[in-house]
Amino acid sequence: MSPHPDSTVVDQQSGSALSSNADDAAAMLVGAVKRYGSGQSTVVALDDVTIAFPAGKFTAVMGPSGSGKSTMMHCAAGLDQLTTGRAFVGNTDLSTLDDRALTMLRRERIGFVFQTLNLVGTLTAEENICLPLTLSGRRPSDGVLDQVVSMLRLGDRMRHRPAELSGGQQQRVAIARALVARPHVVFADEPTGNLDTRSGQEILGYLRSAVDKHHQSIVMVTHDPNAAAWADHVVFVVDGRVHDVMDRPSADSVLDVMKGLGR
Amino acid sequence: MSQMVRSAARSVFASRGRFLLTGTAITLSVAFLVATLVLADSMRGRAASDIAEAFAGTDAVVQGVSLGEPGGGPGDPARSVRQSLDPDITERVVAVDGVDRAASQWSGFAKLVVDGSTVGTGTASDVGRNWVADPALNPFRLASGRPPTEVGEIVIDRSLADDAGVAPGDVVQVLTATGMHDATITGIATFASADAAPLQRTVLLPDGAASAWLDMAAPTEVLVDVAEGADRTEVLGRLSALSDAEVVDGPDYIRTMQDAATSPLQFLNVFLLAFAVVAILIGVTIIFNTFALTVARRRRESGLLRAVGAERRQVLGGVVIEAAFVGTIATLAGLVCGVAGVGALRWVVGLTGVSLITGPTIVSPISIAIAATVGIGATILSAWIPARRAAATPPIEALRESAAEPRVVSRARTASGLVLAAAAIAGGAVAVVDSNPVWLMLAAAIVPALVLCGPAIVTASARWSSPAARRAAGVSGSIATGNLAASPRRSASTALALMLGTAMVTVFSIFASSLTSAVGTDVREGLRADLVVTSATPDFSTIDPTLAGRIAELPDVDSVTALSIAEGVVAGKAQAIGGIDPTALPTMYDLDPIAGDLADLSSGGVAVVGDDPARLGGTLEVEFERSTIEAPIVAVVERSTGGFEAPAYFVDRATLDGSVGRLLDAQVFVDLADGAVADAEEDVSALVRDTPGAFLATQEEHVASSGSEIAAFGNFIDGMLILASFIALLGVANTTALAINERSGEIGLLRAVGASRRELRRIVRLEAALLSFVAASIGIAVGAGFGGAMIDVAGGAEIPSVVVPWLRLAVTLIVAVAAGVVAAAWPAFRVSRVPVLELVSRDR
Ligand SMILES: Nc1ncnc2c1ncn2[C@@H]1O[C@H](COP(=O)(O)OP(=O)(O)OP(=O)(O)O)[C@@H](O)[C@H]1O
Ligand SMILES: [Mg+2]
Repeated sequence: MSPHPDSTVVDQQSGSALSSNADDAAAMLVGAVKRYGSGQSTVVALDDVTIAFPAGKFTAVMGPSGSGKSTMMHCAAGLDQLTTGRAFVGNTDLSTLDDRALTMLRRERIGFVFQTLNLVGTLTAEENICLPLTLSGRRPSDGVLDQVVSMLRLGDRMRHRPAELSGGQQQRVAIARALVARPHVVFADEPTGNLDTRSGQEILGYLRSAVDKHHQSIVMVTHDPNAAAWADHVVFVVDGRVHDVMDRPSADSVLDVMKGLGR
Repeated sequence: MSQMVRSAARSVFASRGRFLLTGTAITLSVAFLVATLVLADSMRGRAASDIAEAFAGTDAVVQGVSLGEPGGGPGDPARSVRQSLDPDITERVVAVDGVDRAASQWSGFAKLVVDGSTVGTGTASDVGRNWVADPALNPFRLASGRPPTEVGEIVIDRSLADDAGVAPGDVVQVLTATGMHDATITGIATFASADAAPLQRTVLLPDGAASAWLDMAAPTEVLVDVAEGADRTEVLGRLSALSDAEVVDGPDYIRTMQDAATSPLQFLNVFLLAFAVVAILIGVTIIFNTFALTVARRRRESGLLRAVGAERRQVLGGVVIEAAFVGTIATLAGLVCGVAGVGALRWVVGLTGVSLITGPTIVSPISIAIAATVGIGATILSAWIPARRAAATPPIEALRESAAEPRVVSRARTASGLVLAAAAIAGGAVAVVDSNPVWLMLAAAIVPALVLCGPAIVTASARWSSPAARRAAGVSGSIATGNLAASPRRSASTALALMLGTAMVTVFSIFASSLTSAVGTDVREGLRADLVVTSATPDFSTIDPTLAGRIAELPDVDSVTALSIAEGVVAGKAQAIGGIDPTALPTMYDLDPIAGDLADLSSGGVAVVGDDPARLGGTLEVEFERSTIEAPIVAVVERSTGGFEAPAYFVDRATLDGSVGRLLDAQVFVDLADGAVADAEEDVSALVRDTPGAFLATQEEHVASSGSEIAAFGNFIDGMLILASFIALLGVANTTALAINERSGEIGLLRAVGASRRELRRIVRLEAALLSFVAASIGIAVGAGFGGAMIDVAGGAEIPSVVVPWLRLAVTLIVAVAAGVVAAAWPAFRVSRVPVLELVSRDR
């Protein structure tokens, strides 16, 4: 029962895979199928998806509404279980893990940012940021915390509670929380969806610099071609399948593909 | 409208989980309330209506002149003490113009003895009465057999016959003030239509035997039937002109009798009433909480409905109909559970050998109506108030708003609460200083004060405990305390139910321990005798006066002395007066004299029980039924002989006999010679066994049984309290579950960032523990303060000092916290099982 993925499988499917080498993957889905419901009303949210998100890179996921982007993120992050197929974080096969092990994995190796309601209302910004670490009984190394906090310019807001922060500040706190444990991979589901353009650009800048400066791996869902342009690669999802992959995207090229998808 | 009802019903079934919780809360509250009311009714029984029926034909009653009114406390005689009537009173009454018929009523002590053992133990008293030949005036009716005509024939009441297993024709014995008499049962009677007179076991004697056996020279009362056509008021006026007698109107007489029959239960009724009030408070709090939460959760939904064009009435109506629907079903279930619960409680208590209720379980329509009104009314009101608020909110605001309540605690609310609390504490202090119970009413303002201050208390305690919780439980601790502070009003009202529950437990615990100590301490500290012979019932002396002498003649018995007790009136209040041998008693029972010399009782003095040595040297006037004595106070003793009917004054036995005639003994103290104790005890035991109405106890047994009535009573109270606390804790479980539901998004988030199931459970448990701890500590503190003040002010001589049962209170605190944690365990378990994503998406 080696959790190590058979890299050749991925290579053979390279038409839809990003990475040519599975060892470079921060996270990976192999033959992933996710069905909701049963019988007549079955919805196939993921339809045999095989994809590897490369380590140390910023990947954007795009696609029409209902195409399965969120489902993909949830399954890759171990928040939900695949109907069939396998999900890997690093070399760990998530399907072999029980709830405890999955919890540990989420705590230590994965960061997740939701679109809204990202913070625990009763904790201060600082406590929210350190939550994954304190849950595992660790203190953040001062260096990392300071780095993240100063990068996100949150220094003066650390003692405030979420209700006292603006939407953009809340998202920055959420991102700081995702980054501070230096996880193997960060998943962000439309982190800028609720923000104005300027705040959105700021957030994207931070994500970009986390990748560039600290070799963080980030996977982000977005509907905005301008946001996707900050990424190293863009994965296009349509009807639960990987439709296309684009390297070094620009806003215009992404827009073109999106138009082609019938939007 | 019917469409609305249908959609409400559909909505109820669609969100079964939520309504199951609400329904459970309502069902339990209603069940508790109805159980309390039914219990109170059943204990009171049908006494009042039975008495009214029995004396329906009596227009007026002539009685002896009243000397003093009953005190009403646990140590006071329940009846008023009256002077004896003249022997020829009945003839004088019949001679009065307008009196059609009159019947003498003789009543005294008489106990049925079958095969050498007495019949019946417990609270009822054993009464001997004469059989009144005139059926219109006779409160008893013959059920079978014939009336007693010759001396030596008796009729007994039906429940006594059932208890003894005897029937007409059987030969039995009757123990009275004049000793043991052989008797033949000629018939069985009922009191009106009841099996027995309330709280009495009655032996009915023929006219001739009444005076001889009961040792009375004159009737106790004369029942009067006013002639048809005569003006009753005028006849009453003429009767009241009779010398050395008082006359009461029939209805007044019935009322007095009813009061006397129910007053021993008054005590219990007060408790049950308090329970009922607490039950209502707890129930309403829980129901209100539940709806406040469910409606808050639906605020957004209703905002949406309004936004798409639903009228305010439509939004409001739906919620209220839903509430009525759930309230009605749950209330019906509660009524059934409550009545069934009384049956179960009866059975459980019955296992311990104590019968809770002697008669049938009485479920009166009023109890049902009260419980149903409270259940359905509170539900609808609880739904309507928050729903109205929700409907009044502009749709957009409701849509934007989160379900959470504001964290800010209203300053005005807290301030008014503090003012009330200060007033309550001041009221309690003044009550204690002034010994004035009226001020206690002000002290009761502590309850609304707590309601008002609750949110502030919760917020403050969450803030204070936060560092400790953080140190003890890390980030889970912070989150738990944070959650409490995040919804102060909900936390406070959850706590309120528990607070009330523990406050009640505390008041009753202090009351019971103070009373037990008051009753039991004297015996524990004063008793020196090896053996004690006690009477069959605590409120009548039933020991054959020759028994003491016979015991004294046994070998190896060192000394024997008897205590007799009579009722007398001192300063207008009925009191128990003890007759003792002032030289023999102190060697076997230490009355702890603090002034004077008990030996001087033999020269006609009186000893006062109390702690004020300055009373020595005064004079005391004691009025008895047949005479009055005026005696110098020659001693002050700190201790009495214990038990409910402990004397407040002691005189020499001879003095007492001289004043009231021959008495049965209340207790006999026996000292055995050193060595050979086992044999001697066996001899005494054999002698006592052959003496009906006398029971033998060793020193340890007697100490243990003193105050045991209260212990039994305390067990009953405990049972009710456990029930009340149980309901309060279900409130905790309920609100915890709902609060978790409300916070599911956040909990999902915690799981998403790596909190384990165990940590989630820990947070929920911590929250419940903290809330229970705060609620229980405040409840105990308030209960201790209030209970202490109450006993201090109203305890009087019966409960001279407040005894705080520290251990019990500590246990109460621990149990409350533990139970709070247990109550939260189920919702905690449930939430930890829900898949992460489901939690996250619930709020989106
Ligand atoms: N819990 C669920 N039960 C049933 N069907 C679901 C569930 N969650 C998602 N789906 C369906 O799965 C499909 C993919 O949903 P998903 O949320 O992944 O889409 P998405 O790409 O994130 O869309 P959007 O851009 O609107 O967020 C949709 O058709 C959706 O209706
Ligand atoms: Mg989505």
